[in-house]
Amino acid sequence: MVKKAISVRGLTKRFGDLVAVDGISFDVENGEIFGFLGPNGAGKTTTINILVTIMKPTSGEAFVAGYNVLENPIKVRERIGVVFQDNTVDRNLTGWENLYIHGLIYGLKGEELRRKIEESLEFAELTKFKDVPVKNYSGGMVRRLEIARALMHKPEILFLDEPTIGLDPHTRARIWEYIRRLREEGGVTIFMTTHYMDEAEKLCDRVAIIDHGKIVAIGSPDELKSNLGGDILYVKVSDRTISLKEFAEEILEEGTALSYKLLGDTLAFKVRSASKAIPLVFRVADSMNVTIEEIKYAQPSLGDVFLHYTGRELRDEEGDWKEMARMRIAVRRRR
Amino acid sequence: MNEARILYAMAYRQLKRYFRAKSRLLGTLINPLVFFLFFGMGWSATLRGSMARQLFGGIDYLSFLAPGIVMMAIFTASLVGGISVIWDREFGFLKEVLVAPASRAYAILGRALGDSLTSVLQGLIILIPLYFVAPALKLEGLVPTLVVGFVTALTFNSLGIAIASKMRSPEGFQLIMSLVTLPLIFLSGAFYPIDNLPQYAKVIFYINPLTFAVDSSRYLLTGKSSLNLILDLIVLLSLSLIFLIISIRIFKESTID
Repeated sequence: MVKKAISVRGLTKRFGDLVAVDGISFDVENGEIFGFLGPNGAGKTTTINILVTIMKPTSGEAFVAGYNVLENPIKVRERIGVVFQDNTVDRNLTGWENLYIHGLIYGLKGEELRRKIEESLEFAELTKFKDVPVKNYSGGMVRRLEIARALMHKPEILFLDEPTIGLDPHTRARIWEYIRRLREEGGVTIFMTTHYMDEAEKLCDRVAIIDHGKIVAIGSPDELKSNLGGDILYVKVSDRTISLKEFAEEILEEGTALSYKLLGDTLAFKVRSASKAIPLVFRVADSMNVTIEEIKYAQPSLGDVFLHYTGRELRDEEGDWKEMARMRIAVRRRR
Repeated sequence: MNEARILYAMAYRQLKRYFRAKSRLLGTLINPLVFFLFFGMGWSATLRGSMARQLFGGIDYLSFLAPGIVMMAIFTASLVGGISVIWDREFGFLKEVLVAPASRAYAILGRALGDSLTSVLQGLIILIPLYFVAPALKLEGLVPTLVVGFVTALTFNSLGIAIASKMRSPEGFQLIMSLVTLPLIFLSGAFYPIDNLPQYAKVIFYINPLTFAVDSSRYLLTGKSSLNLILDLIVLLSLSLIFLIISIRIFKESTID
């Protein structure tokens, strides 16, 4: 049997009365980018902390690279690279020094160590800044350094906890480039968490939607979205000899759309796939002498998926802050 | 072999940090200097003459005080260094060590060794100018004093690490510092000889590890002491070992929750 990159069964973590992770189970295949999508306080970071062996679960099992995180933490640690949500580089040291220490800790030495440091600096595009203390780096530079550092010892699995949190859009796009490059180069499985749906959508092969410590849906972004019933196609008609209703019925009959709604002089079709439906709509319009003035479609986003499963919107700030504050208070009380 | 690299990596980090953080260097030097200037200059002007000298075993007050000031510098620097593990936890570097496959025992030992080296360096920076103002200091006592200083630094650095592990937030840092450092310094015999104290008061001094550091360095630097050098060294070595083992134990079990 080929081992899974990550295998989790019934994982639970309680902090006093608060259940941060509530009996979750999932598998991550080798070589894929697997994402945990959910609001702050949903249990994403807690899950990562357990998987990377620095927090003990209350109950349940987790295997990383084939090893039990509780029984064989050292074996797990040898095979993973971790980028935590908060920076873990030493801000008083330079980029080079941080990589040097990391290399030593992971058993690299001599020429190989020096070569790996140069390679990592190049990958992070920080060669020019290698002798500058990290406290003078921008947020994006620090993140790049952290990702390059986590990859320095060639881990089988890379953990990224909110890799672009707090970064500006330009820098986020650049970090995404890095993560995509890793997939293209192959060889590393990526487990990442995020509360940005665009991030999950753009990067992840499969996504688990997590809310209040539970996985509510799991699958590829496309699967999750098409489970909601496909796209919505808006067709605005300018010139016609038949009624809008006749036109719509004809399209339904062709099997192109699942249902339709009339919105003034616009027809809204629910379709499985907009890209396949659009040419068919044009063909029907042609044969019925209907002129289409405008056609557009909307894809359900992972945000809609989240809304569908949890009944709440996945927003970045406000609501989540309250939840995070609640969690912090609960954790403090325990102490 | 791997262990040696981790040891080196962590010591390297502490040394690099030390030479980069000028403010920390200065901060831990100011206290001993202030004490030396205000206590030392004042009392040495008052306690003059052969009668006064007898109080301090036949040497002048500045020479009596100097070893205590050096140990005070080493003690403060090493304790601060140990407790600063909480900043590693707060600012994340601790996690980098915790997720590494490296031996945690060697990681914390390496950190303690690095910190102790820098603490001894602090002591040396204080001691050199003292040679010019304290006439009874012997040059041949310099190296042995630094060795004793290193053992002292290891003791208090690992004590600091143990204290830090019990602290949940860095806010208590200042409180601990003034709650622990000042009493230990005043109850160490750095400022006055403990020979003439009543027995019950001596007990307090004897449970203070710093007493033995001050006494042994005073013997090495001036030839005068209240206790026995061998006893001092045995106490210091055993304490450093005990505290190191405790801090390693604690660090080994570290999780972040």
